Amino acid sequence: MMMNRAADTIAATDAKPVLSVRNLSKAFAGKTVVDDVSFDIHPGEVIGLVGENGAGKSTTKNMLCGLLQPSNGEILVEGEVVPHIDGPAHGISAVHQELSLFGSLTVAENMCISDLPGKPARVDWREADRIAREQLEFLGIEIDTQATIESLGSGRQQVVEIAKALLHADRVLILDEPTTSLTAVEREKLFAIIDTLKARGVAIIFISHFMEEIYRVCDKFIVLRDGKQVGGGYLSDVPQRQLEEMMVGRTIEDSKIDLHPPGEVEALRVQGLSAIDFDGIDFTVHKGEILGISGLMGAGRTEIAEAIFGLRAATGDVFVKGEKVSPITVKAMKARGVCYVPEDRRTNGLFLNRPVRENLSAAAILNFVTRSLRGIGFRGEKARASDVVRERDISVPSIENHVSDLSGGNQQKVLLGRWLSMAPEILIFDEPTKGVDIGAKFDIHATIAELARAGRAVVIVSSDLPELLHTTHRLLVMRKGHIVGEFQREAYDSVKIISLAASAGNGSNGNA
Amino acid sequence: MPDAIRRVFARQKWMAIAVATIVLAGILTAVSPVFLTLSNLQSILVQSSVTAIMAIGMTFIILTAGIDISVGAILFFTSALFAQLMIDTESYLIAFSAAMTCATGLGALNGVLVVKFRISPLITTLATYSIYRGAAIHLTGAQNIPVPREMGFLGNGKIFSIPVPILILIAVFVIGVYAFTRTRFGVYTRAIGNSARSATESNLPVNRVTIAVYAASGFVTGIAALILLARVGGLQSGIGIGIEFTVIAAVILGGTKLTGGSGTVTGSVIGAVFLVLIDNGLNLMNASPYIYDIVRGSVLLAAVAVDRISAVRQQKAVEAARAARIQGAAIPG
Repeated sequence: MMMNRAADTIAATDAKPVLSVRNLSKAFAGKTVVDDVSFDIHPGEVIGLVGENGAGKSTTKNMLCGLLQPSNGEILVEGEVVPHIDGPAHGISAVHQELSLFGSLTVAENMCISDLPGKPARVDWREADRIAREQLEFLGIEIDTQATIESLGSGRQQVVEIAKALLHADRVLILDEPTTSLTAVEREKLFAIIDTLKARGVAIIFISHFMEEIYRVCDKFIVLRDGKQVGGGYLSDVPQRQLEEMMVGRTIEDSKIDLHPPGEVEALRVQGLSAIDFDGIDFTVHKGEILGISGLMGAGRTEIAEAIFGLRAATGDVFVKGEKVSPITVKAMKARGVCYVPEDRRTNGLFLNRPVRENLSAAAILNFVTRSLRGIGFRGEKARASDVVRERDISVPSIENHVSDLSGGNQQKVLLGRWLSMAPEILIFDEPTKGVDIGAKFDIHATIAELARAGRAVVIVSSDLPELLHTTHRLLVMRKGHIVGEFQREAYDSVKIISLAASAGNGSNGNA
Repeated sequence: MPDAIRRVFARQKWMAIAVATIVLAGILTAVSPVFLTLSNLQSILVQSSVTAIMAIGMTFIILTAGIDISVGAILFFTSALFAQLMIDTESYLIAFSAAMTCATGLGALNGVLVVKFRISPLITTLATYSIYRGAAIHLTGAQNIPVPREMGFLGNGKIFSIPVPILILIAVFVIGVYAFTRTRFGVYTRAIGNSARSATESNLPVNRVTIAVYAASGFVTGIAALILLARVGGLQSGIGIGIEFTVIAAVILGGTKLTGGSGTVTGSVIGAVFLVLIDNGLNLMNASPYIYDIVRGSVLLAAVAVDRISAVRQQKAVEAARAARIQGAAIPG
């Protein structure tokens, strides 16, 4: 029964749009978040909704699936004005960025929970299981419908979420950053599913940060900036650079940064580093050099970075400026000018409910304050913190604002500012631009290049390959806890690197 | 532990407390000849019936990641209202229906406060605990009130030689398990405890279900109040004091997570029986009455610690398996 409505309409190609949005606006407490957005989407079409963080994408999404009521404008389903969107009734469903799944419930329970078969007082679990099974089969995925969600990996959870949404979305499916937790293989599988749905006449709104993905799956695009619709049309007409410029509202310089040639002096050397997640890791970073570590999720990248900084137990040796560090502890590393900017800034790096000032001074409070009495007093902290905010171009009303008030990009700048105020000599970044908007991303890349030029050694761990290609001198490729390849900047070849990181065979000849 | 058994333990979260109960019963059998007699077993079930019935209601609340500290006060208020109305009206019908309505209403009020004002359930029900108990004392003028002799049937009577409280417990248990596994209410309850945000996004009636679990707990507390009143023979000012500890402990011992989403009704009932078994054992050993609370508290602490340790061990097993995979995929060069 699920695809009938859509299948009927596909016969009459581009007859009328399945969903139309006219002058849609939303204001919260007088602040307009979405301003005058209009577009049409036809059956079988994929529209990319792009924009920086805070551009109004999520608010638009929430209005389209009925979680928010528009302040102004109207939404038409099949040409008829709908005053109040009811997702399931209108065949519109969204896959939100944070999964809306229930960990201790089974796959079948999760998929059917919004519309359980049987009576309220007697749920037909057999029927629910059948519906779930059929849906997963339709998508070509094998998952045990009686397994609990928490027993599945994040990629499979994402697939269950999509399957769940599709049960109620035979007209329009909204995907909000669906690939962030997927591996390359799972991502391809998702794209194949999108192609299947397209062929069946489902209209899809695809929200993503990754331009490559937008170009891979979408036909059309809409660009939002500060809540306003600043562009739209067919992707085939618009090159990626132009699209990115529309998003940030200014011209982006060539994203391939000019790197200063690296020095010859050894800064950090890792020898035979091994632990549960990785084995026999050897590499050297020189002063002024930026080294990238790439690999798929679970390849052991983050674990290595943590082990070097002393956050994780490992065997093997780490040398800083030629001198062996033993034992490897955070304190010893900090004392030698090594700093580590972790991946998940919200849980591992920042104190969200504390002011920006304290977040900046946290790692090196004694560099921030002058004390006339030993151990007492915070004189100078405010002035130094304000300096850092200026230097790092952090947009925040006051240094007393809580970090939780800031956007992702500015949060990352605060974290960066904290470590840079320690005047470190070796910096290890884990996913330095994850979840930040394009503008902040370029600022951070520029800062990293600047650091290298000033003679610091930098290690970047990232799953964003284009980022590594743009910002590093040298790249290590990891797979399942081993370094399987090394590339110099002149020889960067993204296809080769990806296949090396993802291949299942024993690719022992990755050196280029 | 073989895989099959481990899987049963993972799926049926009440298995651990069931095994612990059987082991404890085995020890008590070895220690005392009177333990394994029909009358002693019956008396254990009768003694656990009040807390077990309340624990069934509490399970649903804790499944939503909530808690109700005021159940002891609801128990007391309901008992007081029933006893007072029996004196004033001499009508079972009026007293009974008023008591049950009131018990459900007080539970529902907790739910409404939690939902409407978004106050933490712990604070909300800590406040209503004081209010309900105070109101009950105000109502009765802090007097002990006897209930009619025929009420005793509810507490001490037998049908087909099975004590009535046990029959009531079985009925509540069956309804509870059914509601938990077969109804929308049950699955919504578990869903809300997993993630209230996901529940909202999935269009579930989060507020209605939340109020309903507190109301349902109030309702079964009303039933428990009548059984207790019947067994004690009348209203006493000490009724229900500290019972919330026993009820919540039974639920936690039964394997329900305080963080919500995961647990079983069966486990809670076994947990309640287990706590009575401990009392029973201490009694057989002629232990000092002051020891009881110490032992109960220690058992609860031990149960939570064991649960944590097994969770950590499971995590380690997962990591070890991953390490084995990595070592297996070792690549030369």
